[in-house]
Amino acid sequence: MTRRVLRDLLPVVAVATGFVVAWKLLVVIGGYPTFILPPPEVVASRLVAAWRDGTIEPHVATTLTEILLGFLIGSGLALVTGYALARSRLAERLLSPYLVAAQATPILALAPLIALWFGTGLASKVIICSLIVFFPIAVATMVGVRSVDRQLLEVGRVYRATPLQVLTRLEIPGALPLIFGGIRVGATLAVIGAIIGEWAGGESGLGVLINLARGSLFDTPLLFATLLTIAALGVALYWLILLVEHQLVGERG
Amino acid sequence: MGEIAVMPGRTRAALGPMRLRLALGAFVVVQLLVACGPAASGSPRLVASGSAAPPTPLTVGLGYIPSVQFAQFYLAQQAGYYRDGGLQVTFQNKIDPDLVTLVGQGTIDVGISDGTSVIPAVSQGIPVRYVATIYAQFPNVVYAKQASGIKTAGDLRGRKLGTPGKYGSSWIMLQALLSSAGLRPSDLDIELYPDFGQGAALAQGAVDAATGFINNEPVQLELSGTRSTVLRVDQAVPLPGNGLIAGTSAISSKATQLRAFIAATLRAMQEIEADPRKGLDAAIAAVPTLGQDRRTQLAILKATIGTWSSDYTAAHGAGAVDQAAWAKTVTFMASLSDSPISGTPPGVPQLIDTSLLPS
Repeated sequence: MTRRVLRDLLPVVAVATGFVVAWKLLVVIGGYPTFILPPPEVVASRLVAAWRDGTIEPHVATTLTEILLGFLIGSGLALVTGYALARSRLAERLLSPYLVAAQATPILALAPLIALWFGTGLASKVIICSLIVFFPIAVATMVGVRSVDRQLLEVGRVYRATPLQVLTRLEIPGALPLIFGGIRVGATLAVIGAIIGEWAGGESGLGVLINLARGSLFDTPLLFATLLTIAALGVALYWLILLVEHQLVGERG
Repeated sequence: MGEIAVMPGRTRAALGPMRLRLALGAFVVVQLLVACGPAASGSPRLVASGSAAPPTPLTVGLGYIPSVQFAQFYLAQQAGYYRDGGLQVTFQNKIDPDLVTLVGQGTIDVGISDGTSVIPAVSQGIPVRYVATIYAQFPNVVYAKQASGIKTAGDLRGRKLGTPGKYGSSWIMLQALLSSAGLRPSDLDIELYPDFGQGAALAQGAVDAATGFINNEPVQLELSGTRSTVLRVDQAVPLPGNGLIAGTSAISSKATQLRAFIAATLRAMQEIEADPRKGLDAAIAAVPTLGQDRRTQLAILKATIGTWSSDYTAAHGAGAVDQAAWAKTVTFMASLSDSPISGTPPGVPQLIDTSLLPS
């Protein structure tokens, strides 16, 4: 077990080490000042200081709340819609063009409007997160449900399975690997959605901290520290989804 | 081909194939990173000198959106004042935070920026200096409809005020204005409008007052037929308005060119003060869409011109930098609970450089 964990972690650690070394070399060879490209040790020190003095923590709490609510609402709606699209040609014909159009509209352009309509509080961020999460999960659900083995469904009919039994015993288990593919993408997009929502307005959140670090404090190390925190949030969510996926889907995932 | 520089003392033959590949790979990666990286600060550039020399390129950063507020730059360009000064000027429009950083980096030679941005930037080690005052009066204001009954900063207590965010020059101005009346931001109901929708909110009655610019929102409100009240901060804390900033390396290496640029810009400002229509025409020539509403643009320009002079510049000349006002501002900004200044507040000599002003 320990050996397997080590085997999995070693490449990750090696790449991270290589990245930090290359970053440091770039700073040293390029002779860049801290306000253009801070060296990794300065960013690490700023990250620790910002956590210790309470600069980052409240912003993380805000962003995490937005992400979780937006992700839950967006993915819930996407699962229902994706299933409807998979099972109803009429629903697909009616909804698909609008879903694609909504997806093609830049969320960056929509965010200020959503902030205007719903205020700059939690609601607008949750809506933006939900919107950005919705499409990949809806499409993955539709494709996943359609990919369920038809012979299995036939067997279900032969044994007079109820629609609920078909859904819970055949369709959901069969579609789960693909659905989780969409959920993985959605989870990382939810992070982006929260940040975009905070850029459109708000008093707290990691997006607000980026604006403060860049636009008011000119604190480039804090900007990098915030970006690292956002990246860490995304990775943590992704791993959490992988963990759940592994429990539910196993080796099929 | 010589020996591999990254591993002195060993010949290529002495290296095993794997180690050779690793060394070469590392060398290539570093070279690529350096080549793709941002430009280092203080990169040497050719500086032309002498009357026969070709004009020296000078990149000038203006505010984010081309506007009649930059009429003096457009006029100096079109009238050939920059060319006569041996300059080939190119304008770039940038938001303030980007502009300060790019000037510090050396990508932009000179730009117009908030004085209140220079202080936190210098405290973070960005090598910029404020070299000439353009807005001798601080342009950020709080304004309200006259019908609101707000006449002084003290009247803002308990009122609803719209502002883009709790940062930047408007936020500093608001805190300075409120402190002059013994108030704090918590004494007001502050609504945030990050996309600068506070003007529309005020017009619709969603807020009682808003932050804005003396040469923009209040002008538009008056033009729409609504009388306005404007609360200015200058009497309370003389905050430094927008001015020209330059990087310290540019000040050293392009002093002659920067002097010529400042002189040409101030000359254009004087001409526009004497005849605002000249500035309006220059702005419309540079930004044709401004010509769709000459009346509004002229009103904005006249309000802008009103901020270019103060008692201090009247006494010390156009572009003069009020060092005492800067010292007061540093003290005030350092005293704020959410001060944007990092570490020990910089001294005035670290913030301004008056050597480029006309003597």
